[in-house]
Amino acid sequence: MNNSSEKNPGTLQRFVSQKGMGQVITVTVGLVVLCIVFGFINTNFFTSRNITNLLRQIAPTLLIGVGQSYVLFTGNIDLSIGSVVGMSCMISATLMCHGVNPWVAVLITLACCLVVGYVNGILVSRCKLPPFIATLGTMTIARGIAQIVNGNYNTDSIGEGAKGFRSFFYSGKVLGIFSAFWIAIVIWLVFNYIMGRTKTGRHIYATGSNIDAARLSGVNVNHTIVYVYVVSAFCACVTGLITCASTGTGTMDAGTSYEMYAVAASVIGGVSTLGGSGILLGTVIGASIWGVLQNGLQFAGAPVAIRNIIIGIIVVVAVLMDVIVRTGKSKTRRNKNN
Amino acid sequence: MEGNKNHIPAGQELVRMTGITKQFPGVKALEEVRFNLYSGEVLSLLGENGAGKSTLMKILSGVYQRDDGEIILFGEKIREWDANKAKDAGIAIIHQELNMCTHLSVAENIFLGREIVKKGRLDNGRMNEETKQILDKLNIDIDPAVQVGDLAVSKQQMVEIAKALSQNARVLIMDEPTSALTSKEIDELFKIIHQLKADGIGIVYISHRLEELQHIADRVIIMRDGKFIKEMPYDINRMDEIIANMVGHEIKEKFPRVNRKTGKKILEVKNLNAGRLVREINLELYEGEIVGIAGLMGAGRTETTRAIFGIDEKESGQIFIDGKEVKINSPIDAIRAGLVLAPEDRKKDGLCTGLSISDNIALPNLDMLSGGILGTVNRKKEKEIVDQSVSSLRIKLPNAQVAAGSLSGGNQQKVVVAKWLVRNSRVVIFDEPTRGIDVAAKVEIYNLMNQLKQSGIGVMFVSSEMPEVMGMSDRIIVMCDGRITGEFMIEDATQDKILTKATQFEKNK
Repeated sequence: MNNSSEKNPGTLQRFVSQKGMGQVITVTVGLVVLCIVFGFINTNFFTSRNITNLLRQIAPTLLIGVGQSYVLFTGNIDLSIGSVVGMSCMISATLMCHGVNPWVAVLITLACCLVVGYVNGILVSRCKLPPFIATLGTMTIARGIAQIVNGNYNTDSIGEGAKGFRSFFYSGKVLGIFSAFWIAIVIWLVFNYIMGRTKTGRHIYATGSNIDAARLSGVNVNHTIVYVYVVSAFCACVTGLITCASTGTGTMDAGTSYEMYAVAASVIGGVSTLGGSGILLGTVIGASIWGVLQNGLQFAGAPVAIRNIIIGIIVVVAVLMDVIVRTGKSKTRRNKNN
Repeated sequence: MEGNKNHIPAGQELVRMTGITKQFPGVKALEEVRFNLYSGEVLSLLGENGAGKSTLMKILSGVYQRDDGEIILFGEKIREWDANKAKDAGIAIIHQELNMCTHLSVAENIFLGREIVKKGRLDNGRMNEETKQILDKLNIDIDPAVQVGDLAVSKQQMVEIAKALSQNARVLIMDEPTSALTSKEIDELFKIIHQLKADGIGIVYISHRLEELQHIADRVIIMRDGKFIKEMPYDINRMDEIIANMVGHEIKEKFPRVNRKTGKKILEVKNLNAGRLVREINLELYEGEIVGIAGLMGAGRTETTRAIFGIDEKESGQIFIDGKEVKINSPIDAIRAGLVLAPEDRKKDGLCTGLSISDNIALPNLDMLSGGILGTVNRKKEKEIVDQSVSSLRIKLPNAQVAAGSLSGGNQQKVVVAKWLVRNSRVVIFDEPTRGIDVAAKVEIYNLMNQLKQSGIGVMFVSSEMPEVMGMSDRIIVMCDGRITGEFMIEDATQDKILTKATQFEKNK
């Protein structure tokens, strides 16, 4: 998508033969089928109004998916994402309610969230805590912070002064599409570039593929792990700001379960939870499938409970397909290896 | 326990495979291969990496299905075949990587999946007792109740052999069983193999260490490129013929020595201490020389290289490069100082096997390949250095985008080395550079070491293979129990002298 446009056949070949590309192509087909099905069920599905709504719905999932994918690439996991979303939402809203300039509030919020990411990274890399436990801890702490900043109450409306903030992060439209979606896309483009084309990206893949070999090759694996957690916290923070901008208030339980949605978007898109493989393009497709399902099932009148069940099944099936394909491949590889 | 049922008179044909063909997508792994095995013999299955030995054995043990051909087992023709049927029929494989539950006891492992149950509860007493009987029969001194993970690798392997026998194995396939053993442990293993032979078990022995064969092999079958090449009785006087058949051409020089006058001192290590196995190490390395580090398994050779390279923490000591002291606290520092290490365990430390060959070669060199605020990798430059290393090392590969893990052992080793040669390093340290790779690939690694030497780089290599140390080094350092116990110029070195120093343990320990 981003780099296949170069005419160099080596680049194209490289693009198609990327690990995880197979899964991405499969789920893209799945996404198209889903859209067609929902288009048949509901004639309003393909209206421009619904599509702009859909894109707005996809934005938060895509953002947190990018962060979680980064962490998964290194073979770790970040469970604190949802709480950081809540923290971001609450801190920014509380500050704005107290009359702090919205942009200053954004900077303060950003700083607070990045600290959580940094702590996650340090705990996992230097302190060698299992990522599941470390981020479970920070998840609880961050949620606690979200509750404490406004004395265990949701905030009032962030007020008229925050109009520009709300427009920038959410309701403003460029080319008829909500700015939330554009923010998500721009962030995705940047991180996709970093992953695919830069030294940092290579270091992330190498760390996830074989941390010992990476270390011996001169990769600073501790820095790399801290980096991905900070990226994840950054994405969660922006998601929190978008949430705040969309409702105009701070809600303490904003972002609940988002870390799991992020895992879902990543793995549907072919990012391996074992690290070292997958591409960020897959995360876009994964997040889109997630959004289309939510939107389409809602349109089709399915109650929330049924939606959850269907989406859960799809996550399992998507990963199962990947596992089946992978074991098939590894068998043939083993033979060549002899 | 059921030991006597096992006994088969020697010389009966246990296995006969004819016309075995196996096609994998893109490669013909086996073509019309024939193979047979008699009871009470050790058959050495020989061939380079990728010759098809493992594939053939996987077909015999039911892991792979054959496309064509016939298998006759104990006189009966086999049709339907899978891993469980093979196991029931008495075919067992001892893999290079052991398949043990390390947290369970020896007895629990041996009875895994067929535990003895009394009144709905596990009968641990009886399982331990029967395990003891099996181990005693093999003269293996291991407590059945001890955790497998606490045993040395050699003992674990023996437990695995015992497990196979307890399941009435009549055909035992051993794939590189000695690659992780010390010479004493290898002797013990050979004793067990002799005993199994006497019991009438047919043993297929796969190993790259040809010098081992003289102790055990009765017959050899040689394969090359997925084809049957030759079958012959084992004869130590015909080793050249055996090797020529494996490689397909004569290897003239096994250790191609080159001469170069050594220059000035590059590396100096002073009073290095790091843990129990690195004690007061002092060594020097000069331009254009190859220093071999000899010693027994566990002598601290690998640990010393790791400490120098900054992987493990140093307690004390100084490192000088070109006379200037350098602080090396991480591999990053070491690489900056001009040091390079090709580690012992390719899969664990050397390669990101899931990533492409190109990614692996580029990884340590990204600092030279990237630029800009974000550190964008210059793909053109990257391709250049990858192509250059691949061709200069003659790495055989379909293209540089395939996963590094899909290459054969020898080629993987070349990739491990290749990724470092792009840099202008001063010192290259190899740890067991030829472990588990075939004869031809070994010679290529030797040539590479010589190339480095001639370009004035200091080469240091750790090796457990005495002929290799004697054949390649200009100077030999011997280690024992974490200390340097001897140092010889090659002219003065003999195997005896090295071995004496390698076993010079401190008495008061």
